[in-house]
Amino acid sequence: MTTLALPRRYRVPAWGACLVLAIIGELIYFTLTTRQFAGHGTGILNLTEQFAPTGVLALGLAMVILTGNIDLSCGASASLAAVIAGTVLSKGGSPALAIVAAIAVSTLFGLFNGLIVAFVGIDSLLVTLATQFIVTSIATSVAGASPPFGFSSAFTLIGQGSVNDVPFALLTFLVIALAVIITVGYTSLGRSLTLIGYNPRAALYSGIAIRGSLTAVFTLGGFMSGVAGVLLAAYYNSAQPQIGTGLLLPAITAVILGGMDIFGGAGRVGEVVLAVLLLGFLSQGMLIAGDSSLSVTMVTGLVLIGALVVKFSFERNLRQRVSARMRRLRPFDQDAHG
Amino acid sequence: MPPRWAMLLRRREILVTAAVIVVVAVSTAAHPYFWSSGNLAFIFADSVVITFLALGESFVMIGRGIDLSVGAIMGLSAIVVGFRIQNDGMTLLPAVLLGAAVGIVLGVGNAVLVGLVRLPPIIATLGTLSVYSGLEFVVTNGNQVDTIPSSITNLGSHTVLPGVPVILLLTLPFVLVSAWVLRYTAFGRSVYAVGDDAEAAYRAGIGVRRVQFLTYVISGLLAGLGGVAFLVYTSGASSTTGINDNLTAIAAAIIGGTALTGGVGGAFGALAGSVFLTVTLTAMSFAHVSDVWQPAGVGVLVLLAVVYDSRSRAGRTRRGTKRRRGTR
Repeated sequence: MTTLALPRRYRVPAWGACLVLAIIGELIYFTLTTRQFAGHGTGILNLTEQFAPTGVLALGLAMVILTGNIDLSCGASASLAAVIAGTVLSKGGSPALAIVAAIAVSTLFGLFNGLIVAFVGIDSLLVTLATQFIVTSIATSVAGASPPFGFSSAFTLIGQGSVNDVPFALLTFLVIALAVIITVGYTSLGRSLTLIGYNPRAALYSGIAIRGSLTAVFTLGGFMSGVAGVLLAAYYNSAQPQIGTGLLLPAITAVILGGMDIFGGAGRVGEVVLAVLLLGFLSQGMLIAGDSSLSVTMVTGLVLIGALVVKFSFERNLRQRVSARMRRLRPFDQDAHG
Repeated sequence: MPPRWAMLLRRREILVTAAVIVVVAVSTAAHPYFWSSGNLAFIFADSVVITFLALGESFVMIGRGIDLSVGAIMGLSAIVVGFRIQNDGMTLLPAVLLGAAVGIVLGVGNAVLVGLVRLPPIIATLGTLSVYSGLEFVVTNGNQVDTIPSSITNLGSHTVLPGVPVILLLTLPFVLVSAWVLRYTAFGRSVYAVGDDAEAAYRAGIGVRRVQFLTYVISGLLAGLGGVAFLVYTSGASSTTGINDNLTAIAAAIIGGTALTGGVGGAFGALAGSVFLTVTLTAMSFAHVSDVWQPAGVGVLVLLAVVYDSRSRAGRTRRGTKRRRGTR
């Protein structure tokens, strides 16, 4: 809408620093107020097992949101992956086979989403709204009346084991986070994703393979859902068909709190990682202190709204100051809404 | 120029109504009980809650917004009203007023975040969805509503005509008023204008943010009434009431022809979409399809509705995304 040649977005320069400060603050608070929170120093690390799956989902979602799309089906897709892994294990398959099968199915499902979004050209919110319902049914159907549980320790180690007190789940999350940061920041695919989100038309005219990139990003999102599903099944040692569905909203919340622009084209994956840690420790701290999970949901919502109100008013203020300066230079090109 | 009947089918509410008739006819041919007063009344009563939610969602979506929190508002209203009915013997009329009031208050919460603070609607209502779901738990405090007097629940089970429950007759005025507001009032027309092109609406002197503000209040109001309807129909409520209805309401609105890109849709579409959803799901269980596949049914219907609607295809949507960016 603006006709000025302005950079469209201004960011809180130190959003990442704000998140780090908040994490440190809440860690100190919970350590002081709740005796069980820190454990014997390793407790804090062990807590990450609980929210590593949400973090992995958030990373996949972050890339999708960076292109200006959204994937509402990632939580349900994680459930499906968990159920597939559980079913393979309960049929006597090896853990490796279970993991490969689970991740393959959810990756294929992500590819399906991507193909519809990219080639049929339907808004991703609608596509994934619909496929989310469908995948929920498939997961419930595969799981059957008595969902599989009680897996071999070789499998549950993925969700519960640790190397030198660092949980596998946290390691998985960090490795994937590093891979996503590199992909988004330092590869041509990452630059394409950002440009598609920032300005699809410009992306088209600069010869970027929009359809290919979108398909790729949804497929990657499906892959992450698969990883998250495997982590969930291994951590809970069971494969309920609703196991990952509730993680959708926390994952979106983490991505948005991490400063990713919901309309695409701006945001840093590193800050999403920080937001995952912030929200994860917040919810675990509250749960350990004895709050119910729904109170945690409520506080999470309040944090999201509060943080974004501050961030948006700050950025709007900055934007207005810059456009006022530009207006003095070019008085006839005015921005309608400022 | 296509023939007149083809033009009629382009109006989504008529197309969906035709689809409802087809589904009902096929199901009745297979299972005569489908066309019984009891079953039809059940279908209508079942669809009433989603109708209220989809109506409110239509207002918001026509104005190019989205409200992810309608299910939570409905649940919270059902809980607040339900406890008053259960513990204080509140009668129907005050219950409806209280439900509406709860809905308006929660709707204003959304409206302030979107209309005044100017958060993107999807973020704002995602946040309020979390907050309102948490509030549901806080309000119930572990209890649940389970004893609603039959004087109220009878509205859902008694029929005036064969197959038409009382609650449907009580719902229709809200649909009619919504349709009238959207189609014939200045406010309703400006909702379409804002949704179609906020920039043009702004230039035409429409208070864009005031209109958006009001659509969220209306959505809250209707969701609050939906909560009362939920009590009438299910005679109970708990802290998880409405948790699955947020996306179903959006699905019903989309099936009824309301476009996510704004500026298109209507109240009758919301009614037709909700009834169509319920009829299809009931027909599925009549055909011995396991309940497990009901969500998939919803998903397939949404996909069909979207694929059918060429407006939601690429070029249009991309432009839509860019415009949405401009209006935030």
